[in-house]
Amino acid sequence: MRAARTAYPLTWRIMDALEAFAAAVWPARFDRAIPWLMLAPALLLVGLLVLGLIQIADTSLRTLDTSTFLMSEEYTLANYNRALTESLFATVAMRSLVGSLIVTVITLILAFPYAYMMVRTSSAILRKLLLIALFLPFFIGQVVRAYGWLIILGNQGIVNEAFGLIGIEPLRLLYNYPAVLFGLVQYMLPFAVLMAAPALTAISEELELAAGSLGADWVRTFAYIVLPLARPGLIGAGIVVLTLSLTDFAMPAILGGGSQDFIANAIYDQFFRTSDQGLGSTLALLLVAIGSLLVGLLFTLFGAGTLAMNKVRR
Amino acid sequence: MTGALSKKIVLWAFVITVLVMLSAPTIVVLGASFTAGNMITFPPEGLSLKWYARIAGASDLRDAFLRSLYVATICTLIAVPAGTLAGIALAKYAVRFQKTVQIYLLLPFTIPLIGSGIGLMLVLGEARLLGQLWPVGVACCVINLPFMIWAVSASAASLDPDLELAAANCGAPPLSTFFHVTLPAVVPGVISGSLLMFILALNEFLVSLLLVDARIVTLPVLIYNSIRSIITPDLAAISVVFIACAAAAVFLLDRLVGLDIFLKSK
Amino acid sequence: MTDKLLTARLTRRRVLQGASALGAVGFSSLSLPRAFAQEPAKPRELIVRAWGGSWVDSLKAGVSDPFTAETGIAIRHDLTEDNEIQPKIWAAVAQGRTPPIHVNWDTTVNATKSALRSVTEDLSDLPNLQNTTELAKPVGLDGYPIVNTYGYVYVLAYRPGAFPDGPPTSWKVLLEPRFKGRIALYNDGIGFHFPAQVAGGGKLEDIPDNMQAAWDFIAEVKKQQPLLGEDPDFTTWFQKGEIDVACTISTNAREAQKNGIDIAWVVPEEGAKFDTDGLWVPKGLPENELYWAKQYVNFALSKEAQQVWLDGLGLPGVVPGLEPPADLADDPAYPTTGEDFNKLIRISSKVQVENESDWFAKFKAIMQG
Repeated sequence: MRAARTAYPLTWRIMDALEAFAAAVWPARFDRAIPWLMLAPALLLVGLLVLGLIQIADTSLRTLDTSTFLMSEEYTLANYNRALTESLFATVAMRSLVGSLIVTVITLILAFPYAYMMVRTSSAILRKLLLIALFLPFFIGQVVRAYGWLIILGNQGIVNEAFGLIGIEPLRLLYNYPAVLFGLVQYMLPFAVLMAAPALTAISEELELAAGSLGADWVRTFAYIVLPLARPGLIGAGIVVLTLSLTDFAMPAILGGGSQDFIANAIYDQFFRTSDQGLGSTLALLLVAIGSLLVGLLFTLFGAGTLAMNKVRR
Repeated sequence: MTGALSKKIVLWAFVITVLVMLSAPTIVVLGASFTAGNMITFPPEGLSLKWYARIAGASDLRDAFLRSLYVATICTLIAVPAGTLAGIALAKYAVRFQKTVQIYLLLPFTIPLIGSGIGLMLVLGEARLLGQLWPVGVACCVINLPFMIWAVSASAASLDPDLELAAANCGAPPLSTFFHVTLPAVVPGVISGSLLMFILALNEFLVSLLLVDARIVTLPVLIYNSIRSIITPDLAAISVVFIACAAAAVFLLDRLVGLDIFLKSK
Repeated sequence: MTDKLLTARLTRRRVLQGASALGAVGFSSLSLPRAFAQEPAKPRELIVRAWGGSWVDSLKAGVSDPFTAETGIAIRHDLTEDNEIQPKIWAAVAQGRTPPIHVNWDTTVNATKSALRSVTEDLSDLPNLQNTTELAKPVGLDGYPIVNTYGYVYVLAYRPGAFPDGPPTSWKVLLEPRFKGRIALYNDGIGFHFPAQVAGGGKLEDIPDNMQAAWDFIAEVKKQQPLLGEDPDFTTWFQKGEIDVACTISTNAREAQKNGIDIAWVVPEEGAKFDTDGLWVPKGLPENELYWAKQYVNFALSKEAQQVWLDGLGLPGVVPGLEPPADLADDPAYPTTGEDFNKLIRISSKVQVENESDWFAKFKAIMQG
């Protein structure tokens, strides 16, 4: 004889009720729409950003009236005119683009060996140490790290003291372009390593051994085997570092001394120094456009590399 | 690791350079917080815990820190369901318009942080929601969501579909399969994703700068404002609290999931 | 028997005492509701925006701490930059939300912008206004939407060690090659535009129509790779030996002086900008918080508060009869006589309000290029 319903555990009964509810609310013929249901919350959340973009676009078409300091009611393209013609913005844009390219190259060069060592080492302790050294700064945040460099590179900081020991006058190490680039590189390193490492893991060590046994020294192995196979990692890392450093705010602000503005700083200035929301929104929109075009271009040319989130083809 | 001595030397040179670059600020801030003097220097002038005593009593620092924790909690609470479902959906199912959805969900990455921040500031302002703390949590969630989805989809990608078929074969209805087979398999991704979200929200600086004001200032913004003022060692001390949180998170991440998960191939 | 008498007397005395006590309590309880009706409920804290470093320290010593001692309301100082809190306050008022701060310690020019936008509360009914000089009244605005609290000079501060032959006499000293990378200005150029106009060969009468002389001079200064920062940066840079000359408010140089660094300042022959700072209260505060915010501003205008506050800043106030600090008697940064003011450049708030955004933009463009 079957046991009474009440003999079933509570969790089973709850699950039964939930299943019945789900079956009623979502009949089987809608099963193909299940992924959309699952994607819905994320899509809605990101939708907030889309709303934000629309709002920015709307504000970018209004100008500031300096007698009342209110935004104009009518729409006008005057802000776009200013953004595209004033030399200040051209300078800042050029500085940001060139800077981010330099930072990307240097970061990739530094991150790759680190990722390689991390993946290839046989010592679990070393791997753990390298991972911790990577994650700790990642979790500490930009502001505290920039602040640490302010102390180290200042006129009376350790580096200048060391220089003093060997007789060099204190150098101005901060508040210039190299300082900002350096700050960006050290901030981007964890991102780059995290993007490159999965690709390196996928390369079997036997391939390198095989190349070696065929007569290639380690440099040739690196250039002809490892690098090409690690391409997805380099692409993923490159895209992330490029976009993040192009649009960074904290490093140019803290390490730049006010003369090394990047695009994000210029946008911030417009919103919070001159109170011209219209011009600030225009710059923000232009930056979004440039950023998206860049990423779209790179995706189309190279694919998303390790940045991809899709189903793994087996 | 294969290779000649020259390879080892070259590799180690790079690794040590990177290690120094990564750890130097942390060590310096740590050291400077123990100074007995009044100015921020490294090496510190004498050792003392007086700055820690100071921040323990500084109610504005403590309040800011609690607010940061609150924001991080809200962010993680929203991110976990939204990101997990999305990550599983993307990894398991072949959705139509797959590429478009991916690009759409990567928007928080492609839209520069300043653009997202300003957009959210304008939208939340219109909705009269500025001046409260929970919208900041939502904003932090939105801008970091790709991390969560990325972590979960990586875990879900290695889930063998046969397991779910086997469960169905044994008579498990869909929800049961989901809760008993799918979810446990992606738990590593969920855990690493949520730790990531929590810490990222705790440290979130730019978007918070735009969305908070004096009544609801969070700790990174407070530190930034103070850096632009006089830099005193109590800032170093409070930064050490941040470092401690980061260390705790790293430890947790390692304990629960293992840091190696980030090395897994894609 | 005697004890009974004594007891009886004591009892009567006690009764009388008790009665008078009751009467007193009754009396005060009658007046208590009246007292409550006069003073609205006190908020837990008031948030006052201030510049960091010696500025907020002086405000604390002169105004905030005594205010807290007298009323019991804690004061929290927000160090967000004046330019950055402005759009947040404007947005809050426009959207009908509570503004982020109660009292804004702001430059008069910025405060005027807010007043023009009608986001400030009227301060004309503050009792201590009766006892202030002309300087306290904002120019070009009706009544007191803001109230000026002191004046200051953007001086040429310098390290005497770098000038063995005597103090500098002209702003052109910023262009000397030996000071490359060792000069500093405010990051929005404030305080420098007008002396630059004169130093560049132009005339003050041409402000704002033709300021090419100023921009040319600033372009020359740009080649010297100046450090650009805010108030506390100047003090830090002087203290750490990063700069030798700066265009800054005397307060910041004086702060480094107090910390033992050798600093001096002059008003060069081309002149130096004189301007005022003030306090204002944003609209949208709850009734009781508005009341106490105005009490705070009123308190800041009292002679005692001004004396201590401005001693810390080393600046002339708006209340007659203030004693200048001993180290600043006859100092050009502490103008008291007409002769002192003749050396200073004063441009009307109206002109500044209308043109400041353009000047900021031009300065930024030159400095970033």
